[in-house]
Amino acid sequence: MGTRRKTGAGHTFRRVMTAALIVALVALSAAGCSAPTSKASAPAAEKAPIKLGAVLSLTGTYAGLGVPERNAIEMEVARINAAGGIGGRSIEVVYEDDATDPAKAQAATTRLIEREGVLGIIGATGTGQTMGMRADIDRAGIPQVSMAGGNAVTAQFDKLVFQTPWPNRIVVPFTLDFMKKAGITTIALLTDSGGYGKDGRQVVLDDVAKYGVTVVADETFNAGDTDMTTQLTKIKAKAPQAVWMWAAGKEGAIIVKNAKDLDPSGSMRIFGAPGNGRTEFIDGAGAAAEGFTFAAGRILAPDSYGRGTKAFKVATDFIGRYTQKYGKAPDIFAGHAYDAISILADALKRAGSDADSAKLRDAIEATKGLVGVGGTFDLSATDHNGLTAKDLVMYRIEGGVWKVVE
Amino acid sequence: MGAAQLLQFTIAGLKNGAIYALIALGFTIVYASTGILNFAQGEFYMLGGMVAVWALRTLGLPLLAAVPAAVLVTVGVGALVERLALRPRRAEAPLVLIIITIGVSMLLQSLARHLFGPNEVALPPFTAGPSITFFGAAIERQTLWVWGLTAVALLVLWVLYTRTKLGLAMRATAVSHDSSRLVGIDTARVVMVTFALAAALGALAGVAVAPLTQTAYDVGARIGLKGFAAAILGGLGGPVAAVAGGLVLGLTESLSAAFISSTYKDAIALVVLLAVIFLKPSGLFGRAGREKV
Repeated sequence: MGTRRKTGAGHTFRRVMTAALIVALVALSAAGCSAPTSKASAPAAEKAPIKLGAVLSLTGTYAGLGVPERNAIEMEVARINAAGGIGGRSIEVVYEDDATDPAKAQAATTRLIEREGVLGIIGATGTGQTMGMRADIDRAGIPQVSMAGGNAVTAQFDKLVFQTPWPNRIVVPFTLDFMKKAGITTIALLTDSGGYGKDGRQVVLDDVAKYGVTVVADETFNAGDTDMTTQLTKIKAKAPQAVWMWAAGKEGAIIVKNAKDLDPSGSMRIFGAPGNGRTEFIDGAGAAAEGFTFAAGRILAPDSYGRGTKAFKVATDFIGRYTQKYGKAPDIFAGHAYDAISILADALKRAGSDADSAKLRDAIEATKGLVGVGGTFDLSATDHNGLTAKDLVMYRIEGGVWKVVE
Repeated sequence: MGAAQLLQFTIAGLKNGAIYALIALGFTIVYASTGILNFAQGEFYMLGGMVAVWALRTLGLPLLAAVPAAVLVTVGVGALVERLALRPRRAEAPLVLIIITIGVSMLLQSLARHLFGPNEVALPPFTAGPSITFFGAAIERQTLWVWGLTAVALLVLWVLYTRTKLGLAMRATAVSHDSSRLVGIDTARVVMVTFALAAALGALAGVAVAPLTQTAYDVGARIGLKGFAAAILGGLGGPVAAVAGGLVLGLTESLSAAFISSTYKDAIALVVLLAVIFLKPSGLFGRAGREKV
């Protein structure tokens, strides 16, 4: 009997605790609901933070890109807030993971707009995800700063959408110019059939004629493929002077390794794209990466900014702080994220801390001479990227590290 | 199209095919003893590669020790999956168990991302050195390892199934759990051993392939799908059929990329698979109603 009464008492106790918990939760959420009004009536002692959203690929194929992006944003937001925020208001970023899936990127955008009421959105990591967000961005009328390198992001112009990496329309002519000077006239393309590679391939096909270059083979692969020997065997039969691959993930390392096996003498030079500027690529490809050439921004070799210039200071400051905090030098993707948050913070300063989304958009578009790590951003009503070929350099992998090609 | 090129396409196809075959073997033996498809099979492949890299880089083990360590850890995971996730639900319909394996695959993938991070990682080749040239076609040394390990796995399975008491118990369990229990076979233990074995096969494939392709926390889902396709192609009929299914799938992909289109090679392989299922539902090498191993 005693034990039964005991358990009965336990039940009652648990029920009381549950009820108390529910009451507490309801009270808390009610307080949460009334918070904005009470804060608005109070003097500006504690202003509500400026809320921004970030849609990043923290899982899936582009996880290796999205994670450094989040690192850079977190670090910069903490720095801005420690320095007093924007006009006395701190910045708060709500992070969403799109799992490298355009549909999830769209769902995340809806959530950020409807539930979080963000002023603007950073993201996405990838081109496909960035494009997937557009309908909701347009509907809500909030500005979006993307970190994806696809041409479509700003070529299919939208007055709300901005882009921090060098789009393919800058990268491709820059690389083709380099090839022309190196005497390369026949190339083969080996591109990812997904967003980034498809975008790059189209720009290359549109531009080659201007540089007197002919595409003799045009092969593709699918994300996740584990062997490219077949495509490269077909390419080798056409004997091009160079193979231009467009791959951001681990497929890039597979391609250079397979190419090395089929062509040990290196009669075909291998070119790539900014997405190959990752140490994982060199780790994966090993010795086969030697001689691999690609265009990217100056962040991989900060000396190339020119010692003593403002860009050099901005970049080395960012690289130093990032390396100290995360124990690893930032890659180009961390740089794109740094630029995205810098553009937003700069625009917020000019628009005022109480600006709405429309004013913020106008201020972003008016960005002039903002020195970031990807280059100097000069935005306008017709150019929502603002970078030029001057912000790019050619790199060649020598001795397992990137070297700037003069 | 020269003979050397044709040989190169064939080598590429057989290389991928052998990888698919190792995964298909895992699907086949689990199906034989439990009647379910284990969709966490691809995660064993992922774990093999990731644990090997972790053992090599973080623990500082030599490659010679890291590879068996990775296989052993994965075997442990395989046995735990059976014991903790599937055995408590043993009485449920096969569909329920299959869905549990899908859940397990998500769990393992998330765990791997938290433990090992989101980036791709590389494993050095088992034997260093340039590729071997064979009648004008190049073969990576690691590819020889993949083929060798596939052959050894097939041989070991064959000996196990036909020459050992455990193998006999596994075959009996494949025919009927109830009758096996009646003659004194501990079927629960047999099923657990099967999972451990499937995990070993997956891990073996994962470590053998990591030097060729790098590996990452998310490689399991795709390779699992390929291995599943290979197993179906082989008719879930037994070790030899699984390997044959894998090789046919690999060759189909490679030759479609070579002669039709590299963009649509996956789609073409899928069409071939569907055609086989329509025309011969028991698979290329399976016979309806036949003993499963």
